[in-house]
Amino acid sequence: MKRAVPMIGLLLGIGLLGLIEGKAAEVFLEATRPDFQKIPIAVLGFQDEAKANRPDDRVAEVLKADLRRSQIFAVADTAKLGIKPADLNDPQRAALKRVSDSGVTAAVWGKLAMREDDLVLEGYVYDDVKNDGVVGKRYVGAPSVLRLMTHRLADELVFRYTGEQGIARTKIAFVSEQGGSRELFVMDYDGFAPRQISADGFINLMPRWSPDRRFVAFTAYHGRSKQTIDVIELATGKRSTVVSLAGLNITPAYSPDGSELAFATSHDGNSEIYKLNVQNKALTRLTTHSSGDLSPSWSPTGREMVFVSDRGGGPQLYLMSADGSDVRRLTFEGDYNAAPAWSPRGNWIAYVCRTEDKQYKLCVIAPDGQKRMQLTTGTGVDDSPSWSPDGRHLVFSSTNDGKNHLYMINSDGTELERLTSGGTHHSSPSWSPA
Amino acid sequence: MKQLHAASVMGALGALLILAPGCSKQLETKSGSAEFEQGAAKPASPDKGPAGQGQGQGNGPLKGFEPAAPGKALSEERSSDGIVVAKADSSDAARRQAEELQKDQAATAQAGLKDIYFAYDSWKITDDARQALILDAEWMKTNKSKSVIVEGHCDERGTQAYNLVLGEKRAKAARSYLVELGVGKDRLSVASFGKERPVCQDHAESCYQQNRRAHIVIKAQ
Repeated sequence: MKRAVPMIGLLLGIGLLGLIEGKAAEVFLEATRPDFQKIPIAVLGFQDEAKANRPDDRVAEVLKADLRRSQIFAVADTAKLGIKPADLNDPQRAALKRVSDSGVTAAVWGKLAMREDDLVLEGYVYDDVKNDGVVGKRYVGAPSVLRLMTHRLADELVFRYTGEQGIARTKIAFVSEQGGSRELFVMDYDGFAPRQISADGFINLMPRWSPDRRFVAFTAYHGRSKQTIDVIELATGKRSTVVSLAGLNITPAYSPDGSELAFATSHDGNSEIYKLNVQNKALTRLTTHSSGDLSPSWSPTGREMVFVSDRGGGPQLYLMSADGSDVRRLTFEGDYNAAPAWSPRGNWIAYVCRTEDKQYKLCVIAPDGQKRMQLTTGTGVDDSPSWSPDGRHLVFSSTNDGKNHLYMINSDGTELERLTSGGTHHSSPSWSPA
Repeated sequence: MKQLHAASVMGALGALLILAPGCSKQLETKSGSAEFEQGAAKPASPDKGPAGQGQGQGNGPLKGFEPAAPGKALSEERSSDGIVVAKADSSDAARRQAEELQKDQAATAQAGLKDIYFAYDSWKITDDARQALILDAEWMKTNKSKSVIVEGHCDERGTQAYNLVLGEKRAKAARSYLVELGVGKDRLSVASFGKERPVCQDHAESCYQQNRRAHIVIKAQ
């Protein structure tokens, strides 16, 4: 595991090399380090052709929120730049020079127009440092997908500066209470457009995305005494049961290549971790212990898993090879550590730790057992951390505001943002791949 | 030497990671197809067919910006909803399940079976719980045709997943004691609801202790 540390640096370095030559290795070892130098960007506005001389705030606001969340950009206060909407129609060098003279690296603006039933969104970027002139993108779609078009423009900006795909188009699957039952939902990463995907009338739990984003696996209750792991194909709603052993069938987790589904079942008497070959349905038992083993989470290489076991008394995190060999304990601090999630970059494992004053909070630890850090504070019960595909954010549930809600937080513990409002209970979030 | 080798492997891995979003081939190739239309995001122009214009890769990997030369139109990307999500069909499955649960509940309410309670983090049967289970065992011996489900529950503290395991331990501990008291194991099934079915919603110990329970439910016939 010693090798993991230089590897992470390298991975990050490659991903961000295009950003600032020469400084990559030094600055971007941690994308969320406090001294990470963000790129100053100004969103000048989007001119709606139907509303003469008035920029469209919807696009600008969504775009600014996306850029802020990306952690790549520092969004400048455009009001201070004194750029008038009229300057945006056909941007002159003069207007853009004013932007770059003010210390902003990149300026973004655009147009919005109707064409028959479609909205046409054009986004332009000018960057004095890159010196590649004005570049742009044109998106066409139904008015109802305006947010999505804007998210795509945001991701395109992230891509331009990092080579990464961005997270503004990702989704979050979760559980929400509906009239006494707990059902599955999928929403945009920013909490918009929730959509109910199960209506079973009882309890569905722990949705997990397949790496190709086509499927969500989850635990489904069928009456009081039967519980299975089911899979929903999102595009069609088609549903199938993939694990129906006697006892608990919980905590499904797809391998990074999607070929296997690890899960925990108690059909041997106590909870053990198995994996299911998605193609030929073959089952392989991975753990053999008289205590509870559960919550497998794969390393991004697919070679290892982190899981929970109470073989030492209370629940603690353990690592093992993906074939079940080489089991070793990862966490030693505190008497309750559970719900692990291995980051997509491989460098962190997020989990729920019980603090000395018996609070359930988010912690992270490196896979070599070093650098343990508590991310959240307060009295709410935090649960079910799940990583964004860029490894810069976590989504989790918490009772911080009384009822169970979903929150997004940067992986260094900054910028807590609540994603759900209303409702009586939201839990079990799972962030989609990019 | 060893390090050099490691570095090259890592380099390859790095490249893989960066390309990882491209792994969703299936999604890319389908972009622009009917599968990407969603109820909330109605097909933009039904008259053009569900595939829309089909130009661009509205949901595929990003292509990068292109130079915006004056007088030259930018190429178009058609956007439909990125990850299509079919809305749940509110079939009568939900209603059937609810009815079934209600039947169990009604049968249980009449019988007057006792729930038992547990200490924080624990699945140990307490003395009070023993007294309650002795009464439950008596009822089971009198009502020989009945089978029950022993449900294990937890308070809201701790993780969803571990609480399901803890709830099962509680249910199994209660079942073991009932078996010890002479109830046939075949009449006792176990289930765990972890922290998903609390009877009390407050964030206080008075509530927590009511939720850390094994609840005995009669299977309706």
